[in-house]
Amino acid sequence: MPNQNGTVYGLTILSPIIDDERATPSHDLKIREYLATLPTGEESPFAIAPGTHLARLVVMDDVIYVGAPSCEEHLRSKYLVFESNCDSDMESYLRGLAASVPQHLDAIWSHCVGYPGAANVQAFLDYMTSCQIETTFFFAAVNNKSVTETLTALQTQRAVADFIACHQGMKSEQLQKEFAEFMRMLKAAPVPRPGGQAPRRDIKTGGRNE
Amino acid sequence: MSNINGKVYAMNAVTPMKPWKTWILRILFFVLWNVKPLQNDLINLSFIEFARWVILPRNRFPYLGNGQVKEDLKYDYLLFFSNFNGTWNQYIDAFSAVLSNGLNMIWRWSEKFPGSVPVTPFKAYIAQVQFDTDYYYTAYPYAAANDLKSAHIVQSALDNLNQRAQSCTPEQFADAYLNFVLQVQAHLGETGEAPVVS
Repeated sequence: MPNQNGTVYGLTILSPIIDDERATPSHDLKIREYLATLPTGEESPFAIAPGTHLARLVVMDDVIYVGAPSCEEHLRSKYLVFESNCDSDMESYLRGLAASVPQHLDAIWSHCVGYPGAANVQAFLDYMTSCQIETTFFFAAVNNKSVTETLTALQTQRAVADFIACHQGMKSEQLQKEFAEFMRMLKAAPVPRPGGQAPRRDIKTGGRNE
Repeated sequence: MSNINGKVYAMNAVTPMKPWKTWILRILFFVLWNVKPLQNDLINLSFIEFARWVILPRNRFPYLGNGQVKEDLKYDYLLFFSNFNGTWNQYIDAFSAVLSNGLNMIWRWSEKFPGSVPVTPFKAYIAQVQFDTDYYYTAYPYAAANDLKSAHIVQSALDNLNQRAQSCTPEQFADAYLNFVLQVQAHLGETGEAPVVS
């Protein structure tokens, strides 16, 4: 099933944008205007809702004419492309979005044809399903870890590097004791928030990036 | 509009294909999906976090009524979405140098595809069929694909060490710890902002 690679789901949705010549600015521009101000870090709707590894929203104005001898043709609608690489399956993921960030979904998709709103979850799911395009081939570098597992692992990686650097040459007994304390603190540490910047560390590489 | 978030670049490309050719491409993707060794070059390139190809037949563009005009197209379309680390030039160069046969196999069915080698007309073609991303989110903006793989290796090795540490003497622990360090030492790279490429 090409939409699914391991435990990661590749969601592709094309939503036709309302074409209303009386609207000023046009609906596609309103979407672009909203997306331009939408935060991409910890306050992103995709960071607030669970399960998004990477996602993008793109207004596709038209198909591309590559030149003669191919035929020139144009789309009759503009489309909002939603491409997401997420945990679990489509329904759970979309339910998570509808429950966590309905205001953002409505602000974006209310400019699309037939969008019913996120308040009616079943209608929202039906709408998204009717706009879904099946992925033909889906590649994931890591396909068996959730967002939470990945953020935790990145935090662990940094902590382990620090621990190793600070405990070189230590006696066995003391090392074992400090390792137990390290593990206790690591397990108690909160999971880093998605979309956040990695904590800066003082690194001494000796290179030009120091 | 931003194609970049932290260390990841979002590429979108759309290319037209004659409808009879899309069936050939579907078969090729089916083989690529089911014969995993054929994906080795893609995996070994190691700077692609996620990528997908979507064949969109001319009569399968979503049509929802409500005043929407139905599409009337002659071509099917191949959509390509990639999330990669590094710059656009590095990506296309690496694709052209390492995956030229694979790329030709996928895109040769698209109209006017010039081939992935030599790289200059290939880059011109990609630039022509690419369209920009309006909004781009990643849960871990300062980690590259290799950081993700390494972090999971470190996590797994640490979990194993922790299990052993519960029941061994200090000397046994010191040995296990040394093995652990040897095992993870190549996976402790720094995450953070991407270097500036000039």
